[in-house]
Amino acid sequence: MTAPSATAIPRGGVSTGRVLIRTCAAEWTRLWTVRATWGFLAAAAVAMVGIGAIAGFEAAAEAPAPQGDPAWAVAPVAAMPAQFALLALALIAVTSDYATGGIVPTLQWTPRRGVLFLARTLVAVGGATSVGILLGSGSALAAFAAARPSLTLPVGEGLDALGTIAFVVAAGAAFAVGLGFLLRTTAGALVTVFLGMLVLPLLLPQFGYPWMSALAEVLPGSGAAFLLLGQVPGMTETSSVVSLLGWAGGALLLGWLRLARDDANR
Amino acid sequence: MIEVRGLTKRYGDTLAVDGLSFDVEPGKVTGFLGPNGAGKSTTMRMMLGLDRPTAGEVLVNRRRFAAFGEPLREVGALLDPGSLHVGRTGRNHLRVAARTNGIPQRRVQEVIEQVGLDRAARRRIKGYSLGMRQRLGIAAALLADPQVLLFDEPVNGLDLDGVRWIRGLLRRLADEGRTVLVSSHLLSEMEQTADRLVVIGRGRLIADASTEEILRGLGNLRVRVRSSQADALLTRLRERGLTVARIDAHELEIEDGTAHDVGDVAHDAHIPLHHLSEVRPSLEHAYLDLTGDSVEFHGRAAGAAPATTADAR
Ligand SMILES: Nc1ncnc2c1ncn2[C@@H]1O[C@H](COP(=O)(O)OP(=O)(O)OP(=O)(O)O)[C@@H](O)[C@H]1O
Ligand SMILES: [Mg+2]
Repeated sequence: MTAPSATAIPRGGVSTGRVLIRTCAAEWTRLWTVRATWGFLAAAAVAMVGIGAIAGFEAAAEAPAPQGDPAWAVAPVAAMPAQFALLALALIAVTSDYATGGIVPTLQWTPRRGVLFLARTLVAVGGATSVGILLGSGSALAAFAAARPSLTLPVGEGLDALGTIAFVVAAGAAFAVGLGFLLRTTAGALVTVFLGMLVLPLLLPQFGYPWMSALAEVLPGSGAAFLLLGQVPGMTETSSVVSLLGWAGGALLLGWLRLARDDANR
Repeated sequence: MIEVRGLTKRYGDTLAVDGLSFDVEPGKVTGFLGPNGAGKSTTMRMMLGLDRPTAGEVLVNRRRFAAFGEPLREVGALLDPGSLHVGRTGRNHLRVAARTNGIPQRRVQEVIEQVGLDRAARRRIKGYSLGMRQRLGIAAALLADPQVLLFDEPVNGLDLDGVRWIRGLLRRLADEGRTVLVSSHLLSEMEQTADRLVVIGRGRLIADASTEEILRGLGNLRVRVRSSQADALLTRLRERGLTVARIDAHELEIEDGTAHDVGDVAHDAHIPLHHLSEVRPSLEHAYLDLTGDSVEFHGRAAGAAPATTADAR
């Protein structure tokens, strides 16, 4: 009864690359087999497609109707609120393992922590980014369909808009994943993401002190807002990209150090 | 084969595991015994690379666990059955495990049937009883047919049938030549299943010997004596330099010396004896010494070597 019965399990060496691929496959299964993932996906989809459709209807109702404006313009705007659902999705892919104690079997099955970190980060960030691109297209399509025939779907503008969304979501998701590994609690990491991506960049400039505005400019939320909406005083494309990459890289580095050095979950 | 060498784990002021060294050998069920808080779970977590030892190391099949690319094929382990994502179904939990180690997905169904979870496997783990979670954990441990198995208190939460099933499973796994380490805080439970016992208390090794030897008793002989003139006897014995403890008004326990010595002392002093016997401190006694709140930790004098036997291996 304890024998392997029908299925033979071979033993032997296996390359690190192969282990990484398997771990990515496992991470992918982990993602889609929990309900939270589908909840955040639904929220992001409703936000992006909904905003696209509303913008389309408004464009159609304008008098005179806009002629030939690209429908793509709505996608980055819709991504501004919707990105948070995707960041939460990526973050919870990390923190739920700590909340449930699932990290214990996870590390039993993948004890090479570098492999786990890489696979989890790749799948969470890659998943969120792909969905961002998909929903960005959905948003523009919804606007195009709702406003027909006044909006257009030029390819060049599309690649531009989707590229921006992909970059912002990827950097934001990496920031969230890094914080998840670093802080390990869903509440703590989520609050930090919201503070850095939304609350502080909006709030700090309101006080009118130059140093507070300067601080707001280096936060990741200002970079994301500039790239998506383009109306953030003091920001440039370069400063936005640099700040987003810096925050994402820094959070990932700290998260990796905690995973590599600390006990699994105590 | 598991080799534990000088393993130590400190949490702040607590030494949860304190310089443990022992081997767990194939073909036997090795019981890992110790009262609550003795450090069993902490030791097993370090075996699995979950926690970083403060000092020392553990080798599993001569390698550190964290080095394995396909760990499930080497070591199957059941730790805390509550430590898993309860939002998944049992089957999906095992599917993930299979993915990580490149195990064919049809093997998942085999272990599900093997542990008797066929009907529950489609449901979310949230709705599982403790016993069902134990079975799921065991299914994951058996998934890749490993040569080394670790079970941390596997009978917790199981009914009588479940307990019998586990006992049979442990026996079979060992008889197939596998290395089986199973922890418990109950000697009575281990008596029935373990061939060898590694006993720890407060993170330190107390005994590492065959179950029979440990049941026969540990350490030095003690002498129990009862007399209506216990006070007079106590004085005489102490005059002879023996270490004597008073059990009650009429009963004494002598830590060193033999029944022969005590009998002679009594005879010389014309003190009548109503009872005289030699006893070996049992594991239960060592246990009570460790766990009893009011009792000082005197089951093992400072610096005394743990009871270990090489011949029983
Ligand atoms: N994360 C932690 N922080 C501080 N102390 C800890 C931690 N984990 C364990 N300990 C302490 O380490 C000691 C050993 O705990 P451990 O869980 O290994 O015992 P155990 O033998 O498994 O006990 P039980 O039979 O109750 O399961 C205990 O004193 C415990 O309080
Ligand atoms: Mg324990």
